[in-house]
Amino acid sequence: MSNEFDLSHPPFDLLTEEQQQQLLTRLDIGYFGKDETIMEAGHSSDYVFVVMKGAVAEIDARLAETDPDGGVIREYAHEDLFGAISIINGSSRYTFRTLEETIAWLIPKAVFLSLMESNEAFAAYFQNTLTEKARLLESRRSRQSGGGDMSAFMLAKVGGSVLREPVVLDSGTSILEATRTMRERHADCLLVRKGSQYGMVTRTDLLEGVVLSNMGLDADICELASYNLLTVQKDDFLFNALVLMTRHKIQRVVVFDGPRLAGLVELTDVLSFFSSQSHVIGLQIERAASLEELAGVAKGTTHLVSGLVSQGVKIRFAMDLLAALNGRIIAKAFEYLVPEDIRQKVCLLVMGSEGRGEQVLKTDQDNALILADDLHWPECSKVMEKFTQTLLDFGYPLCKGKIMVSNPEWVMKESDWKKRVVKWSGSVEGTGLMNLAIFVDAHAVAGDHHLFNRVRDHLYEKLAGNEVFYSYFAMPLRRFSTPLTFFGGLKSSDGIDIKKGGIFPLVHGVRTMALQHKIRETNTFVRLEKLAEQRIIKKDFADDLAEALSVLSQLRLQQQLKAAKGQADAEESNMVSAVDLNKLDRDLLREALHLVKEFKARMSHRYHLER
Amino acid sequence: MVLKTIRTATDRWTHKDGEFAYMFEPYEGDEVVALDCEMTSLDPQKAELVSIAAVKIKGTQVLTSDKLDIKLQKPESLTGDSIKVHRIRGVDLLGGEVLGDALRQLLEFVGNRPIMGYYINYDITVLNRFIRPRFGFSLPNRTIELSNCYLDKVQRANPELVPDLQFETIAGKLGVPMVGQRHTALGDAITTALMYVRLLKGPVPA
Repeated sequence: MSNEFDLSHPPFDLLTEEQQQQLLTRLDIGYFGKDETIMEAGHSSDYVFVVMKGAVAEIDARLAETDPDGGVIREYAHEDLFGAISIINGSSRYTFRTLEETIAWLIPKAVFLSLMESNEAFAAYFQNTLTEKARLLESRRSRQSGGGDMSAFMLAKVGGSVLREPVVLDSGTSILEATRTMRERHADCLLVRKGSQYGMVTRTDLLEGVVLSNMGLDADICELASYNLLTVQKDDFLFNALVLMTRHKIQRVVVFDGPRLAGLVELTDVLSFFSSQSHVIGLQIERAASLEELAGVAKGTTHLVSGLVSQGVKIRFAMDLLAALNGRIIAKAFEYLVPEDIRQKVCLLVMGSEGRGEQVLKTDQDNALILADDLHWPECSKVMEKFTQTLLDFGYPLCKGKIMVSNPEWVMKESDWKKRVVKWSGSVEGTGLMNLAIFVDAHAVAGDHHLFNRVRDHLYEKLAGNEVFYSYFAMPLRRFSTPLTFFGGLKSSDGIDIKKGGIFPLVHGVRTMALQHKIRETNTFVRLEKLAEQRIIKKDFADDLAEALSVLSQLRLQQQLKAAKGQADAEESNMVSAVDLNKLDRDLLREALHLVKEFKARMSHRYHLER
Repeated sequence: MVLKTIRTATDRWTHKDGEFAYMFEPYEGDEVVALDCEMTSLDPQKAELVSIAAVKIKGTQVLTSDKLDIKLQKPESLTGDSIKVHRIRGVDLLGGEVLGDALRQLLEFVGNRPIMGYYINYDITVLNRFIRPRFGFSLPNRTIELSNCYLDKVQRANPELVPDLQFETIAGKLGVPMVGQRHTALGDAITTALMYVRLLKGPVPA
């Protein structure tokens, strides 16, 4: 049936069948001419509207004069719903006006309110923040696409089925006793309690202790244990445990429930849960015996990511995993090319999206090198040239702006770096500030990290209290407008640049705040968490921004994957067109862009960008 | 037209104290009823009623929550040919309403409101064939012909133009979506209603 009221989308699919039937019998249809005001700001609404055909804009009349979009806050088209918030709040904050002739279903206020009252999930839909709404839509989407298993895994918490009961022994237990216990309990490792601390002893530790270190069978096992344990919380995502194991090349992590020991998670258990190649790739990286082998592994990561994402893995997890893998590939390549003694006196940085750990497909190489002031290394430029070439062979394209170690501009002694970053921070526009923005996202992947930490701390020190700097630094936020008006007139829409309009302002705004508050993390999601922790922005807002960023990144990735497969123009890999999106994506995109716009407004205010 | 006026005057006199006296009062409100019937034949003297649907229009709102949608018991004349037109088979009408009750419901629903439809006089003629023997009067309501409204609007802008008056064509020109399945009484009644409110809203694209 065409143009029937569609109950298969949220929020209406949350209703029981009986409630759905009740709703259908109470619907009216309204017809509105072009440029007709449906609802005035400040008035209450008698209906919730669901667009059958046409387009409606939500307009902030106070902004209509000054705003480049004419005060348009959102637009609504086919199947979009509006007016609910006006009913919930008692009056409408903004004016609703048609952009073209519009036919809309009308849900009477009384009917809507009684549904809200009798159906909690339905009510929650309208009160949810973007984060919650996205989660709701996400789970429905994966159910629709049949990728249920994967997302079930993605939502699995550590505390679920893979948690193992640990074998815990007190310090003072002998090696003999410990070995016997492990055999009885079929365990590969055990935990030793030493005071309030836990240490881990594996079978390998026992073997090496007895055979290589000549320890007696009655020796105390707590001398064998390693106390530098990596831990996760019980309510953490299982995927995070996997990322942790991948990043640190370990087989087990210890799980805590708050301060209390809860158990162990073993890699083999996680892998049996999660049959992707991620850890396989991790192992291949470690075992690669030559640059050629490493190149082969590096090329597999793109495949891995598109596989993960198509199975419904949340993009943030995919980004984390890929960042961990890429970091190790780059570090490993660096180890091959740079002799050990030199490596201790240099520090390799990755920057840009790689530094933030937010790339999903291989993006341009953005890297730099810091040399210790006392290092004499004549072959430096030759080796770095080779390094850049190697990464190119691995599939990391060259940086168009030449921000690479093959460019001597980005290979400097520590003291020169310090001078350079301060010089950049003193420039009021253009390249200097852009370079600085790139540097602020830098992340040390190989060599002596202290070199980098000192340069960065020097920068923090010089910037302290320099309010004017942040105003200039944040200025590019205003360069691209955030498109909110591309939903109406769906026929003629030719897409928006989601990177310029959505991702860039978010990332740069968060970067600016992170720099000002000396937050060392480079990942935008983590920066947001830290900013919320330090109460620089509200937790809810930070969560919503993080969700907005993952929505935008997800849509961008879909487009990039299309381009990679040749289904879309490579030039247009950042262009997203509303026509191609389904209703769920369109809803999410609309909310995300709305948040970006609000964020930009707050940043403008905070850093005095209105000049 | 003259005939209807005389007939209605007579009916009004006959029924002035009857159950349906209100049908003959002049209508003062702002509602219109969009009506559509599905029938077994295109000949109004032979056609049997298959289903009757009506929906009220108030201002520019189509009150789909206040509607009538009646399927009738299988009439004698439901033949293979009309099944092809309406896709309503005999079994679909099992359990349908008895004609007399259905017409009474219709009269109560419509009252003295104007009746609007696409080639509405055809529907009214058939309805009257069944109403008059049972209730002793014919529908006195003012009727509004959708295709005439459309023609007026088109020719007001361009007197020379003779537009295509097919149902789908008008809907297309007016940008009104087809609601429900075409050739179900309710779907057509709602679509007709939407076209009508659209015509109230302003000029028509040529």
